[in-house]
Order: sequence, then C-alpha cells, then structure tokens
Amino acid sequence: MALFVNLVITAAIVATAGWQIVKVLRKSKQGKCAACDYKCAAKKMMVDAKRRPN
Amino acid sequence: MTTIALFGNPNTGKTTLFNRLTDSYAYMGNWSGVTVEKKVGAIKNSQLAVVDLPGVYSLNPLTKDEAVATNFLLNEPQDIILNVANAAQLKRNLLLSIELLEFGKPTIIALNMIDSLRKLGISYNLDVLRHAFGCNLVATNARGNKGVQDLKQQFLQAEPDLTPNTFKLEYSSAIQTAIKQAVRGLQRNYNLGEQFASWLAIQFMNANKAVITYAKENNLTPLLNQQPYYEAQHFADKIYQARLEFIEATLKEARQQAQNPRITDITAKIDRVVTNPVLGLPIFAGIFFLMFKLTFDWVGTPLSNILDQFISGPLSSSANQLLTTLGALPFLHSLIVDGIIAGVGGVLVFMPQIFMLFACISILEDSGYMARAALVMDKLMSLVGLNGKAFIPLIIGFGCNVPGIMAARTIEQPKERLITTLISPYMSCSARLPIYSLFVAAFFSKHQAAIVLSLYFLGIAVALVLAKIYQSVFHSEETSVFMIELPEYHMPQANIILQGTWDKGKGFIHKAGTVIFGGTVMIWLLSYLGPSGVATNVGQSFSALIGRSLLPLFHPIGITSWEAISAILTGVLAKEVVGSTLMVLYHTAGRSMLVAALAHLFTPLSAYAFLVFILLYIPCFATIAIIKAETGTWKWAAYSVVVSLLVAYGLAFFIYQGGLLIGLR
Repeated sequence: MALFVNLVITAAIVATAGWQIVKVLRKSKQGKCAACDYKCAAKKMMVDAKRRPN
Repeated sequence: MTTIALFGNPNTGKTTLFNRLTDSYAYMGNWSGVTVEKKVGAIKNSQLAVVDLPGVYSLNPLTKDEAVATNFLLNEPQDIILNVANAAQLKRNLLLSIELLEFGKPTIIALNMIDSLRKLGISYNLDVLRHAFGCNLVATNARGNKGVQDLKQQFLQAEPDLTPNTFKLEYSSAIQTAIKQAVRGLQRNYNLGEQFASWLAIQFMNANKAVITYAKENNLTPLLNQQPYYEAQHFADKIYQARLEFIEATLKEARQQAQNPRITDITAKIDRVVTNPVLGLPIFAGIFFLMFKLTFDWVGTPLSNILDQFISGPLSSSANQLLTTLGALPFLHSLIVDGIIAGVGGVLVFMPQIFMLFACISILEDSGYMARAALVMDKLMSLVGLNGKAFIPLIIGFGCNVPGIMAARTIEQPKERLITTLISPYMSCSARLPIYSLFVAAFFSKHQAAIVLSLYFLGIAVALVLAKIYQSVFHSEETSVFMIELPEYHMPQANIILQGTWDKGKGFIHKAGTVIFGGTVMIWLLSYLGPSGVATNVGQSFSALIGRSLLPLFHPIGITSWEAISAILTGVLAKEVVGSTLMVLYHTAGRSMLVAALAHLFTPLSAYAFLVFILLYIPCFATIAIIKAETGTWKWAAYSVVVSLLVAYGLAFFIYQGGLLIGLR
C-alpha cells in the first residue's frame, strides 16, 4: 500500500512537471514568455499583437 | 459600454493617467515608447472603458506602433476622446489635439503635468483655450493625483449626453473647397458621415499613410483621384502651417502674466553633466556598476544568504523529517528534497538579488534617466549604423529579452528593426543573474559587481559588433530618425518603484512554479534513472551519459564537468534552469554548498569562459519564438540560434585559450 501511494504521488509530481514544460513550450510557440502570465504591458503587447505589414 | 480613447504625445503621462482613472497598474516608465500596444481598463462603478494607446506626435504614423493609434480611430468604436497634452509643451502637443478635434467625437483635453508649467512661471487662461478649441479642458497632474477626480466627474457627467465638439479650423480657401468636394463625393457614394468624411479628406491631404492605405482598401475614389492635385498644391505643408499659426495665436492670447519661476531648470543642469559627450558614457557605466554593487555586494547577496540558510537548513531538514515520518520511500524522498527543494528552492534564493536589480531599473526609469541613457548611447550606436532608438529595446532586454524584442517595433526602418531584433538576445536578461551570482561568489568574491558589469558590457559589445556586420551585409541605406523626449527628472516615488519592481519580479516567482519546477523534476528524473533502471549513483544516470558524450566538444572552452553541460542544455528551456540543474546534479541542499562544489570543478578562467558562454549561447525558447513572431519566419529564429551558439563558443574559446596562453588559470 505504502509503495502504491508513493508511486502515485511521484507519478503525479512528474506528470505535473511534464505538463508545465509542455505548457511553456506551447506558450513559447505563440511568442509568449514563461513569466508573462501577469498583466504587464509586455503580455498585452504579445496577446494583442497582430501582424501588421512593414 | 462607453469607450474613452486616450491619445497624446509620448511621455505626457498618459499611462499614469490611465492607471489613475482605472485604478489599475500598467507598466510605466518616465521615457518614451513604453506603451507599444493599446491597454484597456475600466473606470470603477461606471460603464466606462478606457483605452490607452501608444504615444504619437501626429496621426500620420511613422512607425508600426504609431499606426496603432490611427488605426484605432479608423477601425474601432470610440465614444469619447481624451487627449493628454503636456502643459509645458503645448505648442507641439496641440498639433495632435487639432487632428483629434477634427475627428468630431466628444473630446476632453487634459493639460497634464500642469505643475511643471507652474514651476516655469507660466499659466494659461483655460477659458480662452476652451473657447478656441470648442471642447472642455481640465488641468491635471496625474503623477500627483491632482485634477484626476475632476476629470473622472467630467466623464461620468458626459456619459449619458455625448455632445460632439464644435471645433473647425479655417484652412485656406483652396483647401476648404477641396475638402467640400471630397466630402460631397464620400457622402454620396460611400454613405459616410459628414464629420468623418471631412476628417478623412483632411488627413488624406495631409499625406497620412494609414489613411491613404484605408482609402485604397476601400477604393475611396473622390480622394484617390485627387491625390496628384493635393500633392502638387502642397496641401500637407499648408495644413501644417495653418494649424501652427492657429496654435501660436491661441496660446499668445491665453498666456497669462508670467509669475516668478519657482525653480531654476534643475533638469537642464543635471543634463549638462549626464548627457555630456565625454562624461555621459562613464556615468552610464558607473550607474550600472552601482546597480550591481547594490545587487551583489551590499543588499541582494546578504538577503539571499539569509534565504539560502532557511531553505537549506530548517526547510530541508523539516521536509526530511516529515517525509521520514510519513513513510516516504527513497525515490519520493529524493524527488522532493534533492529535486524540488534543492532545485526550485536553489533558484528562489536569488529572489532578493533579482528584485534588487529590478528596483534599481525602476528607479532609473522613474527618475527620467533611461531616456538620457538612450541619448548617451546614440553616439555609440551610430558608429554601427543604428541609433539611440535601438538602445531602448536593448535596455528593456536587460529585464527580459522577450519584451525587449517586441519593443523593437518602435523602429520604423525594417532593416534596422530586424538588426535590433537579432542582436537583442545578447543583452544579459535577469534570468542569467542566478548563474552569475553563483559563479562570482565562488571565484570572484572580491570583484563580484565588476565581473557582472563586464558580462553586461560584453553582451552590449557583441551586439554592437554584430549590428555593424549586419548593417554592411544588409546595405541598409535609409536610417531611422531618433527623437526622444527628455522628461524632467523626478524624485522617484516609492509606490511606483515598489509596484514596478513587483511587476517585473513576480514573473520570476511565477517561473519558479512553472518552467523551473518542470525543468527541475525532469532533470531529477534523468539523474535518478539510467540505462539499467534506477542509477546507483548519478554518474551512471542518463544526464551523465548525455553530458559526458558532449564533453570533448566543451573541453576546449574549459568546461570539464558533465554536470555543467547538462545545465547548459536545460538552460534553453529557461536560463534560470541552469542553476536548478546544477543544484540537483551536485546533490547540494544550498547555494553555499554548491559554491564550494563548483570551486573544485572550475578555475577562475574556465568559470569566466563558462559565464561568457551562458551569456551568449542559444536564447531561451520564449525568445526564439518571439523572434519568429516578430520577423514572421522561422528562418531568422533558426539563424539566431546557430549564430549565438557560434559566437558563444568562439568567444569562450578565445577567452579560455587566450587566458591560458598568457598564463592565467
């Protein structure tokens, strides 16, 4: 039983960590910084930015 | 919902006023170019939304970000226009006001920074200005929160009863006739309102690029057919002249008896020293040195040590005891203590240093020095074919390369913008700070600030050399015009500094819970497992195998430990992960123990070469992605990765091998 609980907790931590990396990579592809989940001007710039012709 | 659009010249305090009106906090800086995209907020207990747009000198856009303001007028609904004007520079600011008033929407002009005007001993009769401009005017000092409540009241009163402004400037008869003809055609064939048609016609005659594009997209033939005539008649010059004459006459009439100025111009006195062609650069370097002294020697590191003692001491041992009591098996025990606490905690101990650095940057921004830094760097930047404008994205990159690259949008010439984007990742972002801190503590304890300063300046130097190369390769002939507002110096305000520091620094804490946590657990897994299952020691793990396979490649630059190579690889995820990887791989519970461990694996020379490599090598994923987003192609992102790797390796090789040759170790 103890082994099972230990395995479940370990798996949960590893899965969460893996998910965080996947999220960061996905956000990076959209041009977002991993740190930019807060309401800063940089985030606004990135979220709202539309490609405009040069 | 009623929308208030906030327009104004750069650095008129628009963002401060926006924050005051909406009780929110948006990033503020006492220098131009801070608002690159529009920000939206709401006035509490009302149906009023406020949109803060990038600062513009006129509605005729010179740069990408300036086009945001004009396109907002053309394409998005707005009910009220709030024009924020710098009261001390009305002649120039009112040129934009006229363009906005001609748009015809209900408009309020906020004469902001009214305190600066009073200090100069000047005042204007607001009734004369109200009458001349046919709209309401409010005197405000957004920084001191004066006049903002009056302004709010104006909006709340205006909300149910929006009366368009009555402003109409009398241009010369030829222009008036041309406007009438164009308006008739636009109303008849395109069903446009008279006011909007008139505004479009004036802007078109004024050669507004965004409006010309709009006219072409909508095939507005009454304007397009007349374009050669408008140009031949020099309508754009005549419109400008008429506006200027009107402003000068109005200001002359409104200006009241001068009082005795309360201050002599302190700003000008300081500027004579800090923007001096000879002293400017040493002062800039000195300010950065002071910043690193505060970060590494005086404030940041002592606080960091306290945090380190707590994490490696009571926190680690309590977690150990708790896990033992709860019956955690060795692998879970190791994951939590050696992985998460050591790795994530090991990076979090650098929080005081990072916050200290951000506090210093916030002080520089709020005081008004940053605009001078760009001016001082203009001379140096012009040597490589760029100008001070390109330095603003670079200096933002000291915080994080991602917004730094985005700020390159303020550069109008595409080639200059591309060059600035490509050289931005060489700016030493704050994520590299924990690694610097570890290595300078281990190898350069007496010269920590000087070593870090040398890395920052090396980053700038590499960026400038590459810019020069790109400039000659791209054959960029056109150059951007560099204009920057030099705001008055302010005594930095505590609330703005605290808010600015928190706003910049909380991203670091957020990263600890996301990418650093993810990276740490993954590296723990790679160090716990090996080809034959659970590795009996870390030297037989996957991470050791990967690191060792690359050792011959890194040997010439002085890196002889596979742990450091594994850390370099994980650093691509986010640079902070380099530190947490070292913590996990060296099985150290605290920063001081890691510092001691590093001392056996590096020499001061190889440590410096390692730091140079970390400074310059592949940008993190987020930066690579933003280069792709801003250049519109993966080609430049891939190019940036390859070149940065080559530059980092080449320079680290040169430093290490050159150092050995001259007898350093």
